Amino acid sequence: MNNMMWIVRRLLRTTFRKKSSWIVYFGLPVAAILLSMLIYGSASGGSLHVGVLNQDGGKTLTQDTIHFVEGLNNVKITMTDEASMNKDIASGKLDSGLIFEQGFADSVRDGEPARLRLVSAKGAEVTAYVKALLNGYLGNVAAIGQATKSDAEAFDAIYADYKQSSFKLESESLKDTAKYKDMTYQSIGFLLMFLLFSAVNMSELILKEREDRTFLRLLSSPLSARGFVLANVLVAFIIQVLQIVVTLLILKYAIGIDSGVPLRDLLGTLLLFSPVAISLGLLITAFSKNRRGASALQTLIITPTCLLAGCFFPAEIMPDTVQKISSFLPQHWLLDTITKLQDGQAIGSLGLNLAILIAFAAVFTLVAIYRFSRNNDVRQFI
Amino acid sequence: MNVLEIRNLTKKFGDFIAVDNMNLSVREGEIFGFLGANGAGKSTTINMISSLLRISKGEIQLLGRDIVKENKFAKMNIGIVPQDLAIYEEMSAYENVSFFAGLYGLRGSLLKERTEEALEFVGLGDKHKALPKSFSGGMKRRLNIACAIAHRPKLIIMDEPTVGIDPQSRNYILNSVKKLNQMGCSVIYTSHYMEEVEEICTRIAIVDHGKIIAEGTKEQLKSIITDTKETWIGVRNPERLDLDALKRISGVNSVRLEEQTVKIVSRGEINNLNWVIQQLIGDQVEISSVEEQAPNLETVFLTLTGRNLRD
Repeated sequence: MNNMMWIVRRLLRTTFRKKSSWIVYFGLPVAAILLSMLIYGSASGGSLHVGVLNQDGGKTLTQDTIHFVEGLNNVKITMTDEASMNKDIASGKLDSGLIFEQGFADSVRDGEPARLRLVSAKGAEVTAYVKALLNGYLGNVAAIGQATKSDAEAFDAIYADYKQSSFKLESESLKDTAKYKDMTYQSIGFLLMFLLFSAVNMSELILKEREDRTFLRLLSSPLSARGFVLANVLVAFIIQVLQIVVTLLILKYAIGIDSGVPLRDLLGTLLLFSPVAISLGLLITAFSKNRRGASALQTLIITPTCLLAGCFFPAEIMPDTVQKISSFLPQHWLLDTITKLQDGQAIGSLGLNLAILIAFAAVFTLVAIYRFSRNNDVRQFI
Repeated sequence: MNVLEIRNLTKKFGDFIAVDNMNLSVREGEIFGFLGANGAGKSTTINMISSLLRISKGEIQLLGRDIVKENKFAKMNIGIVPQDLAIYEEMSAYENVSFFAGLYGLRGSLLKERTEEALEFVGLGDKHKALPKSFSGGMKRRLNIACAIAHRPKLIIMDEPTVGIDPQSRNYILNSVKKLNQMGCSVIYTSHYMEEVEEICTRIAIVDHGKIIAEGTKEQLKSIITDTKETWIGVRNPERLDLDALKRISGVNSVRLEEQTVKIVSRGEINNLNWVIQQLIGDQVEISSVEEQAPNLETVFLTLTGRNLRD
């Protein structure tokens, strides 16, 4: 035990003496958070930009409807012409376009609102809000039209009264938590990849000892082979804990992203992934003759599995077959756990997910031990 | 008393027998030379002594205690100087020695004292803060030794400790080995340089095909081959030599060419020098010198194994 801690001390000291280690272990996960912010921060801005094309002239009803839209919370309107509107919608400058065709005001007055079109390249996500409120507003005006039939004077009188009548309306903008949840998901996706890479990097230290022949001296000392491997595992775990804690603290306190999951649950879940990452690192080490081989295996395994499991973008956008394949990957189960926690499920109800993660770690470790024990060569360890 | 006792030691890798029923003993206070060509079984034996390889059969005792049953005791009392440098380039000389000594349970002021002592011993006391990457090959070899001796082992195993270094560092290391021996350490020393073994070893074992084929003091080993003699003939145009014809001459055991010298080992009782010279003249070889060699370890090794040590 003393010898094991002696090795742990040396490994930690030499690891953190190198500036590159700080960048790899902490800089990259933080950079990943910033990248997520960039992706999701720009995806949903605070205001909806609506281009208005008025082909109905200066009629009161049309002008009033335009003012109504302009007065909506989080909506900015721009008067435009047809060509510019299409161009701006296509380029993303406008979220949607509201077209008042000729005869719009008359149709409302007749009690059957028509000749109004709401167009967008982004679908219901951006049109639903304006559409719902417009329906309410125009519905009321159209009801006046229906009630007064073709009596223009009566319509104008009731409409003027309707405009002047005041009623109390309080509106409140809710915080867009979906955006933060997406950011958390994405940041954790990247963090998983970095945890896997750092675990393999730490396991590669075992191979480095082998290549540098220092392991001969280590194993001829009272240190056991098992103690040597355990010391490396312990160091990898310590570094992973630090990586996870630093990333979560930055996410929550420095950047202020609310993950939607209690910090304790998020930390616990991620710490459960750490043994998976470390055992995968050991497995790669057990099957590699040297560091070059391990690096090749690392690239071959980690990046594609992270891609399939949804670490880089949400798994839902992938085809069904790919989603089914991802069920065989530990990253999928971790991300699934996080998503379910964000959806409000208690960590206690996610026993199956957590058991699957433990099973992955156990299988990887057993295969690595079996592989190590088959070696009858002084260049190997156990 | 024997520091090391090896009985019926065997190591198999599948069907291949690397060490075959070996018996050997190293006495307390001696520098024991362990000679063998590449693949003879030396490193396998050393790896079993230092617990890096499992024993297939037989036993090894260190100071009368079985190294498998009392592995920690054995490891605490052995120091290994591996052939390949086993030091951390990213750690200073002091940190290297201190780290390895710490694995033997040394801590605090004792660790500091022994680390400084080991560095002083190999002449690196003033370089303790330097990183090995700034060292010459010889200095790295000395650091490699310091890492093996700080815990004061009873038996030090040195596997080719002078490979690839300058003569000055080589002399320093050889003197260090003698000094360690005077301080009470027993040493097992392997080398490809026969003159080193002749200079420092008190007893020598020659291993071939996993077996000890000869063991004793230098004199005892040389006496094995009093029935042979070695003649060195300097030649100016070695390309004209017909080595096969020389081997066919009556009494010749072996012939080898080293640069411009033909080395011929013959049976002692047969005087065949005239026939050898006649053959060379017949082949129009220009002779520059003829020397009769007294038996040395090189000859002993060649005679017993049929190979050069550097083969």
